[in-house]
Amino acid sequence: MTMLSFEKKYRVRGGTLVGGDLFDFWVGPFYVGFFGVTTAFFSILGTALIFYGASMGPTWNPWQINIAPPDLSWGLSAAPLAEGGLWQAITICAIGAFGSWALREVEICRKLGMGYHVPFAFSVAIGAYVTLVVIRPVLMGAWGHGFPYGIFSHLDWVSNVGYQYLHFHYNPAHMLAVTFFFTTTMALALHGSLILSSVNPKKGETVKTPEHEDTYFRDLIGYSVGTLGIHRVGLFLALSAGFWSAVCIVISGPFWTRSWTEWWSWWLDLPIWS
Amino acid sequence: MIEYQNIFTQVQARAHPHDGVPFSHGTWVRSEEPFFSYWIGKLGNAQIGPFYLGFLGLASIVCGALAFFLIGMNYLASVNWNPIMLVRNLFWLSLDPPAPKYGLSWPPLNDGGWYMIVSTFLLLSVLLWWGRTYVRARALGMGTHVAWAFASAIWLFLVLGLFRPILMGSWSEGVPYGIFSHLDWTAAFSIRYGNLFYNPFHALSIVFLYGSTLLFAMHAATILAVTRYGGDRELEQITDRGTATERAALFWRWTMGFNATMESIHRWAWWFAVLTTLTGGIGILLTGTAVDNWYLWAVKHGVAPAYVTDWSPVADPALAAGGVR
Amino acid sequence: MKTKIFTKSLGLAGAAALALLLGGCEQPPQETAQTGPRGTGMVQVKSPEREEAKRAAIVLPEVQPEADASGPRASEVYENVKVLGHLSEGQFIRVMAAITEWVQPEQGCAGCHNLENLADDSVYTKVVARRMFQMTQTINAKWTAHVGQTGVTCYTCHRGQAVPAEIWFKSPGDDNPPYMGAKNGQNAPVKSVAYSTLPNEPFSALLVQKGEIRVQGTTAIPQVPARVEQGQTIQDAEKTYGLMMHMSTGLGVNCGFCHNSRAFGSWAESPPQRVTAWHGIQMVRELNTTYLDPLQPVYPANRLGEAGDAPKAYCATCHQGVNKPLYGAAMFKDYAVELSPPKAN
Repeated sequence: MTMLSFEKKYRVRGGTLVGGDLFDFWVGPFYVGFFGVTTAFFSILGTALIFYGASMGPTWNPWQINIAPPDLSWGLSAAPLAEGGLWQAITICAIGAFGSWALREVEICRKLGMGYHVPFAFSVAIGAYVTLVVIRPVLMGAWGHGFPYGIFSHLDWVSNVGYQYLHFHYNPAHMLAVTFFFTTTMALALHGSLILSSVNPKKGETVKTPEHEDTYFRDLIGYSVGTLGIHRVGLFLALSAGFWSAVCIVISGPFWTRSWTEWWSWWLDLPIWS
Repeated sequence: MIEYQNIFTQVQARAHPHDGVPFSHGTWVRSEEPFFSYWIGKLGNAQIGPFYLGFLGLASIVCGALAFFLIGMNYLASVNWNPIMLVRNLFWLSLDPPAPKYGLSWPPLNDGGWYMIVSTFLLLSVLLWWGRTYVRARALGMGTHVAWAFASAIWLFLVLGLFRPILMGSWSEGVPYGIFSHLDWTAAFSIRYGNLFYNPFHALSIVFLYGSTLLFAMHAATILAVTRYGGDRELEQITDRGTATERAALFWRWTMGFNATMESIHRWAWWFAVLTTLTGGIGILLTGTAVDNWYLWAVKHGVAPAYVTDWSPVADPALAAGGVR
Repeated sequence: MKTKIFTKSLGLAGAAALALLLGGCEQPPQETAQTGPRGTGMVQVKSPEREEAKRAAIVLPEVQPEADASGPRASEVYENVKVLGHLSEGQFIRVMAAITEWVQPEQGCAGCHNLENLADDSVYTKVVARRMFQMTQTINAKWTAHVGQTGVTCYTCHRGQAVPAEIWFKSPGDDNPPYMGAKNGQNAPVKSVAYSTLPNEPFSALLVQKGEIRVQGTTAIPQVPARVEQGQTIQDAEKTYGLMMHMSTGLGVNCGFCHNSRAFGSWAESPPQRVTAWHGIQMVRELNTTYLDPLQPVYPANRLGEAGDAPKAYCATCHQGVNKPLYGAAMFKDYAVELSPPKAN
C-alpha cells in the first residue's frame, strides 16, 4: 500500500492555509492541498512549454536542448514565444511551482506539528533563483540577462557571465559562497560519518551513544558541537552558501561593471599602508 | 512562534563536564580540564575539551605547522621582510610550484624547492591526521566512516599535488599555495584544457557539491523542525523510532512521495559528500592526461549545444597569413 | 553603560562597513550591449558614469587649415628632412603645426628642435619623432586590417603629452630575493594585469617576442603522450590570461567582446572583433621590435625603464580604455597625405 505502518494516525484533517477541507487529501503518498493543485498546474504547464520549446529547436538531444531568454533589445517587455517568450513563460511557471511547493511544505509542517525550517530553507533557494532570473535582469534592464534553460547552455552562460568581470574568482561574495559550499559538504560528511560510525560500530561492539559522538570529536579536535548543534550549524552553512551565491551574482553587473580583480584596489589604496 | 523554531538554546543546564567515554587504546591521557562557554552554548554544546593529542596528532600538527610556517616565511621574504606589506599583499602572495623546466627532478630551493618541502610536510600532516581519525574511532569502538570520508578528500588532494603531476611529468603542474594564486591556477587550468565545465566528472562533482548542500539544508532543517519531539537524538531515534522520526519521514513522503529513514539519510549524506571529491579527483586526473580540450571532447560526443550567431563565422587569420600566429 | 558603548561601536563599525561596500560599488542601471547569441551571457556591461567621464576626457584638437599640395617639396626647401621630404612645403608646415599641438603643446617647437638650427638632430625627441612618423605611416598603410580606414595620428597615443600615458617597460628580470620568497614575476598587485596575481609583465614574451599566445589543445585527446614540455603549460595559460587582462582593461571591454568563453580558442565560436584584435597583436609586435625597442640608444636614461629598455606599446597605448581609440574619431582622414608613406611613383 501507499501508507507506512505508522502513517494512518498522522493523516488527520486541518492545517491548511487556503481552501479549507477542499483539497485536504492525499494521492498515493503525496499530500495535495490547494498548493499541490497549483504546483501541479505550474509544473505540468512549464514542462510542456519546455517540450514545446525543444520541438521548435534544432535538436532533441537532451544535453543540447536550449531555451534561451530574449535578446537584450526586448528590454523588460514580453518577447514573442519563439524569441525568448517561452523562456519568460517557463520562468513564471517555475516561480509559481517553486512558491507553491514551499507553501505546500508549510501546510504539511502544520499538519505534522513541525517547525517551519524546511520551507524557510527552501525559500532561500527560491530567493537565489529569483535573484538570477528576475531581480538581476530587472536591475540590468532586460530579461535577456537571465540564464538559459539547458544542461550545457546554462554552463556556457555561467562561463561568459563570469568572464564579463574578467576573473570571477576574485568576486568576494563568490569566494564566501564557494567557501560555504565546501564547508557545508565537509560538515555533512563529518555528520553523516559520525552517525554511521556510531550505528555501525566495530564488529562485536554495541551501537554507540551521543556520548561517544561527543567524545570522538573532543578527542579529535577538542570540541563537539553536539547532536542539536550540528543541525543548526549545518543549516546555517547551507543557507549561507545559497545566500552568498545570490549576492555574488546580483552585485556582478548591477553594482560592479569592471574586472573583479580591480575591485580589490580599495584594499591596496587604504591610507594605513602609506 | 519564533521560540518554537529552536534556533538557539534558551536554557543551558550545567553539570560536571563530561570527561569522555573511556578509550581502549592510546597511551596518552586526555589533556586539559574541560570548560564551558556560555555563548558557544547558545548554538551547540557549551563544553570545550578535553582533547586527546597522541603521537599521530602531535606529529600531524608539527608537520602542518611547519608547512604553514614555511609558507609564511616565503611570503615574508617576497615582501622584503616587511610585516606591513605582508598584511597588505597577503592575498596576492604565493609559494609557487617549480618551473616546468625541472620536470620531476628536485628543483633549486628558491625555484620550487620550498614548494616541494612544504608539499611534503603538508602531505605528511594530512596522512597523519587521517591515521588519527581512524585510530580515535577504533579506540572508542566506533566505525571508521569519518576516516574513509576524509580519505575521499585526500584523494582529490593527492590527485592535484601528486598523481597528476607525475602523470604529466612535471611538479610544475601542482597548485600554488596562495589565496589569489590558487584561484588564478584554477581559472588557467580550466582555460588551458578547454573549459572544465565540459568535463563530465567536474559536472558530477558540482552536482554532488550542490547536492550535499541541498541535502544538509533538507536534513538539518527537518531535524530542527522535529527537535520539539526529540528529533536531534538521532542515535536513539535510529534504534528506537519515535514520533520525531515518523513526522520527519512523513513530511518528505507527503512532500515528494519518498522518504529516507533516520539512518539512511546519513548514508545519502555520506555518499553525496564523499562523491564530491571522488568524482572531482577523477575529473582532474583525466585533464591533460587523457583529455586535452574538454570543449572539443564535448563536441566530439555530441553534447555541446550549437548557437546561431548573427555574424558570419570567421576563420583563423593565422592560417591566411601562412601559418604564422 | 557598557552595553551602550558596545552597541555604539558596533553601529559605527557597521556604518563603516556599509560605507566601504557602497563606496566600492557602481549604481545601477548600467549600459549593456549584446555581443553574442541570446542567452549566452556574451554581453558588454559598462557604467554610464564612467563612460561619460571617459568621453569627457577626450578633447579633439582642431583640424589644421588645408595646405597647398603643389610647389617645391619639403626636402628641397629644408635641410635634413628624411621622412617627410615628399610633402609640399605647405603640407610639411601643416603637419609640424599639428604635431606640436598633438605632442608638445606646452614646449612647442623647442620640444623637439634646437631653435637656433631647426635641422639639427641634437635633440633626442626629434630623432624619436622622425621614427614615430615612419611608424605612423606604416600603421596607416600596412595595418588597415587593424586600424581600418580610421587610421592613427600622433594624437591617438599622445593626447597632448610628450610621453603617451600608457606605455610599458620590461620587468627588471629576476627580482627574486635570495634563498626564499621567489615571486616569479607575479604575486604582486600591479595595474598592468588589473591587480590580479597573474604574471605582471607578460608583454615581453608575447608582444615583443612572438611567444605562443594560444594555449588550448586543438584536439580533444592529447596528440602526444601528455608531457608538459610538448604542450602549453598552466604557467603559459596564466601568461596569456595576464595579456588578456591587459587587453580587456586597455580596451574597456570584457572577454565576451572577442570570445565565447566556452571555447576561447575556437575561431568558429568567436565574434569578428577577435580577427581585428589578432591583427592588432601582430601589429604591436612589429611596432615594438621594429620601431620602439630599437630606439633605446636614442633616449636619455630618465626615459628608459628599470631594465634599461625603451618605452614600448601595448593595446592601451592607443586604446586608453576604449575599444575604438578616441571613440572612433577619424582624425587620420584630415592628414591622410602627411601621415601616409610616400607613394611609390
